[in-house]
Amino acid sequence: MSIDADSTVAVGPVSGRRRAVRLVSPRLLPYLLIAPAVIYLLGITLYPFIYAVRTSLYDVSAGMEFWVGWGNYARLLTDQTFWQSLLNTVLIAGVSLAVETTLAMGVALLVYNDRWVRGWRMLYLAPMLFMPSAVAFMWKLMFFPGTSIINDLLIHAGLVSDQLNWFGNTVLARGTMVVADVWEWTPFLFVIFLAGLQGMDEEIEEAAKLDGARWYHTFWLITLPMMRPVLAIALTLRGIDLVTMFTKVSIMTNGGPAGYTETVSYFIYRNGFKQFDQGYAAAASVIVLIFTVIAAMTIIKRFFRTATL
Amino acid sequence: MMSRTRRRQLNRAGRAVLLCLWAAFCLLPILWFLTVAFRARTEIGVSPPVYWPHFTLKPWHELWNAWPVGDYLRNTGIAVIGSVLLDLVLGIPAAYALSRFRFRLRDDLGFYILSTRMIVPAAVAIPIFALFKNMSLLDTPWALMLIFAAINLSIVTWIIRAYMMEIPVEIEHAAMTDGAGRMTILFQLMVPLAMPGIVTAATIAMIFGVNEFLFTLLISYTPSAQTMSVGLAMFTGGSSGIIFNLIALMSFILFVPLCIIVFMIQGHLSRGLSMGAVKG
Repeated sequence: MSIDADSTVAVGPVSGRRRAVRLVSPRLLPYLLIAPAVIYLLGITLYPFIYAVRTSLYDVSAGMEFWVGWGNYARLLTDQTFWQSLLNTVLIAGVSLAVETTLAMGVALLVYNDRWVRGWRMLYLAPMLFMPSAVAFMWKLMFFPGTSIINDLLIHAGLVSDQLNWFGNTVLARGTMVVADVWEWTPFLFVIFLAGLQGMDEEIEEAAKLDGARWYHTFWLITLPMMRPVLAIALTLRGIDLVTMFTKVSIMTNGGPAGYTETVSYFIYRNGFKQFDQGYAAAASVIVLIFTVIAAMTIIKRFFRTATL
Repeated sequence: MMSRTRRRQLNRAGRAVLLCLWAAFCLLPILWFLTVAFRARTEIGVSPPVYWPHFTLKPWHELWNAWPVGDYLRNTGIAVIGSVLLDLVLGIPAAYALSRFRFRLRDDLGFYILSTRMIVPAAVAIPIFALFKNMSLLDTPWALMLIFAAINLSIVTWIIRAYMMEIPVEIEHAAMTDGAGRMTILFQLMVPLAMPGIVTAATIAMIFGVNEFLFTLLISYTPSAQTMSVGLAMFTGGSSGIIFNLIALMSFILFVPLCIIVFMIQGHLSRGLSMGAVKG
C-alpha cells in the first residue's frame, strides 16, 4: 500500500476497541474495492465461456440435446461458409482499418495546427454520434439498387455509364460495408490522432524544419515514431470493433450476396438465432473467444502496459 | 519563381479546400438524411432520386401516432442511465484501488477488466441469452441495463483510473493527517477531483449504450424492452417495405442531444475514447 492511514491516526499499539470499530483491515481494502467490478465481469464473461463450451459439445435442436462430442467442431472445420465468414471479416476489417487510418491521420495532420481546430473537430465528429443502426440504414438507402443517389451522382459525374448493383456484386457489396464504416468511424481515429499530435513536443519538429527537412521527412522520421503508442492503442480499439462488425451486416446485406459479406459475428448469429443450431453456433463462439482472449492478452501486454503504467 | 509568401498563401488555401471537402463528406450524408426525414414516402425510393423534396411534417405525426417511440425512448433511458449508474458504482472504487493501492494481483485484475473490452459480443450472445432466460429477464429493459453495464465497465474503470492517477498523492496525505479515513477520502476528495474523468466516462458509456445493437436485438423483442437503436430497425413493416423517412426521423431524435453533450466534453473525448491512454 502506498499510504498507511493508521500510522498517522493511532498512537501506540492498536487497541482492541479500535480494531473492532474498523470494518476491514487496510490490507483487504483494495481487494474489497475492486471485487464488485471483477465479480460482475467474471459473471458475464466466465459463465458464458463455460456455458458455450458445454453447449458446443451437444446438438441442440427443438429443445432436445444430444451429445455429439467434437462433432460440431469437426463440422465447422469443413464448413465452407465458416471459412468464408472468417475471410470476409479479415478483408472488410483490414481494408476499412487501412483506409480509416490513412484518412484520419491525413485530416489530423492538416488540422492540428489550425486556428479553428476545435470547430473542425466538432464537425468531423458528427458521423460517430449517429446510431450505428441508423448509419446502416442511411447507407443502405444511398446504395439502394435502382434508386441509389450514389449511382445517380456517379453517372452525372461521368464516372460510370450504368447503374451499379451495389448489393448484388460480391466486391461492391463488401465495398458498401467499407464505405459506411469509413464514414462512421474515421472520426474515432481522427479524435485520438489529433490529441496525439497536439500533445507532441513541437520543438523537435521545428528543429528538423530548420535543418531543411521536408514535411514528409519530418512525418516519417519524427512524427510517426513519436505517435507509435497512440497509433497502437487507437488501432487496437478500432480493430476490435471492426472484427466484431455486426450491425451493418445485419441491416445492409444480411450477409449477402451468397454470404460474401457475412462476418464471423453474423455467422454465429445466423446459426444460433435464425437456424436455431445453438450447439454449432456455440462451437464457433468458443473458437472466436479463444482467439480473442489470446489476441487481447498479447495486445494488452504490448501496448497498454507501456502506455498506462 | 513564386515568392515565399505567395506559396504559403497557396498552401493555406489548398489546406482549407481539403478540410472543407472532408467536412462535406462527413456532413452531406447527414443533411441529406435530414431531408429524407421530412419528406413523403412517395419521394423515397424513386428513380431518379429526389435531392430536394417537398418538406412535410407528416412523418413526424405518423411517427408519434403509429409507432411506440415513447416506449423506445423510455427503455433507452432506463437501460442507458441505469447502466451508467451501475458502472459508476462498480467502477469508481475499482479505479481508486487500481490507481492508489499497491497490492498483489493489482495489474492482473486491472488488465483483466481491460480485456473484457476485447470480447466479441456475438461469441457470448448465446450464453447471455440463456442466462437472462433463466433469470426471467428476457425482453425487459433491466436485462439491457445489466448487459450495457458489463460492456462499458472496462471503459469506465480505465478512464476514471487515468484521471485519478493524475491527482497528486500529497492531497491525500494531507487529508489523512487530518484524520480522514479511506472511504471519506474516496468520496469527498477523489470523486470531486476526478469529476472531469467521471463525466467523460459516463458520457462515453452513454454513447455506447445508446448505440448497442446486437444484444438489444437478441434479448428484447417487443416495445416493452426495445431501445431506439433496435426500435428503428423494426420500421420494416411487411408490404410497406423499409420506412426510411421514419427511420431517419428516429435517428435524429437522439443525435441532437448527443451532439450537445459531446460538444460540452469535447476536450476530454480523445482521453475517453482511448480508455484513458491518450491525453487530450
